[in-house]
Amino acid sequence: MRAKSFAPVMRGVAAVMACVLVLAIVGAGVADTFRTRIDDALHTQSYVTNTDPDSARFKSDYATIDEMIAAAKALAIREGEEGTVIMKNDNGALPLAEGGSVALFGLAAYAPYPYTAGDLKAGNEDAVDLLQALTDAGLKVNETVRDFYLEKVLNKHTEEVPNRWTGELETQVAYDNIYVAAPGDMAQYQIVEVPPEKFGELGAPADWKSSIDKASTTGICVFARGAGEGNTYAPGSALDFAGNATGKDPLALSDDELAVIDAAKETCSKVVVLINSGNTMVLKDIAKGGGHEVDGIAYIGVINDYQCTGIARVLTGQVNATGALPDTYVADNASIPAVMNFGGGYYADYEIVARSDDPRYPGVEIGNETAGSFGGSNTYNGGHFVVEAEGIYVGYKYYETRYYDSIMNPGSKAGSAKGATQDSAWDYGKEVLYTFGHGLSYLDYTQTLKRVDVDKTPEGNVTAVVELKNNSSQDGSFLAQLYVQQPYTDYDRQNGVEKSAVMFLNSAKVQVPAGGSVEVTITVPAKYLASYDYTNAKTYILDAGDYLFTAAPGAHAAVNNFLAHQGKTAADGMDAEANGAVVSWNVNALDTDTFSVENGVKVTNVAETADLNYWTGTNTVTYLSRHDWEGTYPINYNTDVEIKLADSPKKDEWIAELRGETYTIQNNSPATEGGDKGVRFDTTNIQYEQLENVTDAFWDTLVSSITIDEAVGAVIHGGSRSDVLTNVENPIVIQNEGVSGFTATHEETGYRFNVHSQTLLASSFNPELAYEWGRVEGNSGLWLQRYHLWGTGLTQRRTPYNGRNYEYISEDPMLSNRMGYGILQGCADMGILNGPKHMGFNDQEHNRGGVSAYMNEQKFRETDLRCFQGGLEDADGMAVMIAFNRIGATNASHHVGMLQKILRDEWGYTGLISTDMMNNKYYFNAESMVMAGITQVADFGGDDNHITLGKGGVDATWAYISPATVENDSALVEQARQNLKYQLYTYANSAIMNVSTERVDTWWDVALRNAKYVSGALCAATAAAWVILTVIPDKKKEEV
Amino acid sequence: MNVIKKFSVGAWITLVAAVMALVSVIVYTVNIGSAGYFQNAAVSNLTVFCVLAVAALVAAIVLGQAKLSGPAATAVALVQGALQIAAPVLLTLCLANLVAARAEGLGFIYFSNADVILEVQTPANLASATGTIANMACLAVAMVIGIAGTFCTLRKKEQ
Repeated sequence: MRAKSFAPVMRGVAAVMACVLVLAIVGAGVADTFRTRIDDALHTQSYVTNTDPDSARFKSDYATIDEMIAAAKALAIREGEEGTVIMKNDNGALPLAEGGSVALFGLAAYAPYPYTAGDLKAGNEDAVDLLQALTDAGLKVNETVRDFYLEKVLNKHTEEVPNRWTGELETQVAYDNIYVAAPGDMAQYQIVEVPPEKFGELGAPADWKSSIDKASTTGICVFARGAGEGNTYAPGSALDFAGNATGKDPLALSDDELAVIDAAKETCSKVVVLINSGNTMVLKDIAKGGGHEVDGIAYIGVINDYQCTGIARVLTGQVNATGALPDTYVADNASIPAVMNFGGGYYADYEIVARSDDPRYPGVEIGNETAGSFGGSNTYNGGHFVVEAEGIYVGYKYYETRYYDSIMNPGSKAGSAKGATQDSAWDYGKEVLYTFGHGLSYLDYTQTLKRVDVDKTPEGNVTAVVELKNNSSQDGSFLAQLYVQQPYTDYDRQNGVEKSAVMFLNSAKVQVPAGGSVEVTITVPAKYLASYDYTNAKTYILDAGDYLFTAAPGAHAAVNNFLAHQGKTAADGMDAEANGAVVSWNVNALDTDTFSVENGVKVTNVAETADLNYWTGTNTVTYLSRHDWEGTYPINYNTDVEIKLADSPKKDEWIAELRGETYTIQNNSPATEGGDKGVRFDTTNIQYEQLENVTDAFWDTLVSSITIDEAVGAVIHGGSRSDVLTNVENPIVIQNEGVSGFTATHEETGYRFNVHSQTLLASSFNPELAYEWGRVEGNSGLWLQRYHLWGTGLTQRRTPYNGRNYEYISEDPMLSNRMGYGILQGCADMGILNGPKHMGFNDQEHNRGGVSAYMNEQKFRETDLRCFQGGLEDADGMAVMIAFNRIGATNASHHVGMLQKILRDEWGYTGLISTDMMNNKYYFNAESMVMAGITQVADFGGDDNHITLGKGGVDATWAYISPATVENDSALVEQARQNLKYQLYTYANSAIMNVSTERVDTWWDVALRNAKYVSGALCAATAAAWVILTVIPDKKKEEV
Repeated sequence: MNVIKKFSVGAWITLVAAVMALVSVIVYTVNIGSAGYFQNAAVSNLTVFCVLAVAALVAAIVLGQAKLSGPAATAVALVQGALQIAAPVLLTLCLANLVAARAEGLGFIYFSNADVILEVQTPANLASATGTIANMACLAVAMVIGIAGTFCTLRKKEQ
């Protein structure tokens, strides 16, 4: 009986132990989820650094340098295969038959752009040019024409030319006749293409025409346009081969080029034109209905060492054509609303900014004229401005929306004469030749949107499933493109929120067997469905209404799908019937909350001063709005109105900003001097917690050890390499160009890995290929032992005239966004800092070092910045270079709103932030850059991380800065240290440190595990005891 | 009434545990049904486990009042005991899952940085957070009382 009475006790203990067991099991899982925070709270360490070289965090994917080289070449060839865009293909011109005959015309056919090695082109010995690639693909190239071009027209040789930067003479490839590779800055551009009438003079055989078997030969004409840093095409600036001004657009085909095409048409049965340029060209003359219409047109971008092999495979049909246009091709560039305000001009009274009594520069006459692209005179360079009055309507967003409104919203005056160049009334069919996303496939296929799921949360995704059906009898690769139409509501009309009638979201490629179909899933963050309302909600909003999604081969097909879904037909004005599937997702009420907080930070206006109207105090600028295409079509704010600084109610503030006085050094708060805090930038101090968390106390301790002199000095003299800081002992990190990959040469093999083509990657429309390139780029860094490069360009292509469009991806923010995501993530996964250029509206090179770009905040957030957002917020991008120009009157590198509020706070970016070339101390203001969060000012110096290196112990560049002048500005000094913290944190998380971490058990891991075992055992034992005590018979039966 | 008179302290404790578990379900249901941060934020299986715990506790009380002898009494005693053990285990599971599911959200509401704290700490969100904390408290109390009940017999000894 006594034993029996223990049964409830045993039962109770069993229950307690069972509960402990449950808590231990569930708790272990929960604790693992919150491991980092628990470690912080309990001061434990779950990860330790492994310094064993074999345990490096970032290891190359390739065992040997030969494998690495092979991977780079294979990737470059894929860029040619996936990026070649078939724009026009009539009369079976393409693909070229295997073993067929071709005759190559045009200088670029034998020397594609770029023809010299450098940043843009690797120039490896095994490079394959177009002639070789076409021959390798099995085509018979007409030898008479080939030899004439090679020997008589081009005559390749070498010349000694001075290096642009160093002035040293270098041996470069040269030709007797070659297209102009650098158009200059708004200069006249000579289109050097030898017209057939000159062939005889240059020694062409008299029978060259008869050497071509017309019936069996396809003429291939290749035309190039040069480009380059500091270069900007000027509308109407073309010169012909003879050097005569023609008044034509330099990006239009010249009469000489058209004459070459005519010669090809005369001598060949079919003619295909290849466009070898990073700038969209004007192809009206050779497009359908043009006076020199050809059978085929293909875009081949700016090519590098191996892309021609891939291009030839597309032209010969060895692979299906899957490339698509990243920009819209129009009949006349004058129809582009952004071109209405391009290049910029002076304020009427820009001289009032000049002064000779700037206290920072006593005795110096500082003007306000424009300076050369690479610096020069003493000037604030704040005299020029441009108004980006087109707002979000860049590229197809303008043309497709106006087309849509011409059918759906005639009241919007979409058909007015404003912006029309081809007729008295605006007509999409006449203005647009080839739209964004256009690209013909050899193999017949359909893409059908099957379903869309939208997770309407700040971190949610749009997930779309697209069925690609291969209707042909050949296996092949196909491209799926996802588009959306956001509702354009009365709220939008009232509050100046603009919506494109069609917006590209993302794309994907997939292999589909002959006659088969494959479903491909496309995802994109849902936040990109939101629009920025800068006037009322002052945050991102989701309008009420139906969000329409479709999959289509280009923006125009997509907008036609939307129109058809909304009941429109050709009878209503549509230029084609459409039946593509449209999936609708509804938001039942205006949502101003979901995307109003990002990364724990309230999203609100940060760039009101970017709007010219902020300064003039009136509605000087009317931004293009789809509610009234005629009334809001941009005027030219440099010529059609007079803007005077002196008339502004904020005149003093405006002038101060133009003088670079965004921040003024304070003198009322002593900064704390640094000193040895007993910590260093090493693997002893930097463990898992420090690698994971930039807010870990270690980082503040580390940077607090940096002296005042070095803290400010290291930021404002960031140079082309980092300097070793006293008390920190950080590594020196050398920065590398460039946009095509690391330009450094591999010592053992002499190989150069800058084999990439940004333009062809862009037209591949394949974010996975972008990731693969980023990974190859990162791998090459590991092999070169270089860890930081400026390895991609993501600035929006606002107009075709920007001389650096070949470095950038697209007119479309989301294509740039997704490609940037891939490239930067690929590099980050290899531990390489790949900084995209040039965040913040560096969309023209003309007077890039000072021009003020004015805009409203919707454009600010949804165009150029969105191009960078994918790589810097969604991916793990570790570096970025800021634009050269001003945003509003503020130097982009001084812009606290863009750099601190958006980049750091909203996007949660923890990487390095660099200026562009610091070539003008009156424009780049040291203290303002520090306060904006710049981590390194690119002054190209080394070992100059001090503000004492000038005469008299002051700063060598900004003489008003010295330890004595900044030591009483604690905010400035602490901000400099914070900026360096991010930079050091980024280095620690890169292959520069390249250490791995491994998980170890903390005391609480052990306690939880032991609790599990002990409670489990005790539970079993006490439960067994309870059962036995309950079951055993007793002398006197008790009731339970 | 005669049955109730035969309730031991253990039975009353168990009954209180069942009531608290039931209250937990109600608080939970109201919490995720009300406007605020945790609206529609269901926790997997919480309602099912809670209801099962209530059922187990009530069944244990009922079985505990049975006056049986022989093997039947032993069998009933084992089932009743197993139910008494199962109930707090289920409630523990509920509590652990609720804490795991709500920790991030509570942190967001109470510990966001100053920049957004006013945006986050709306009356609805604060009410929602309070409801969740109340839910946790109810579950914890139900669990502890349920455990206490397992140490007790459920029927008064007959004189």
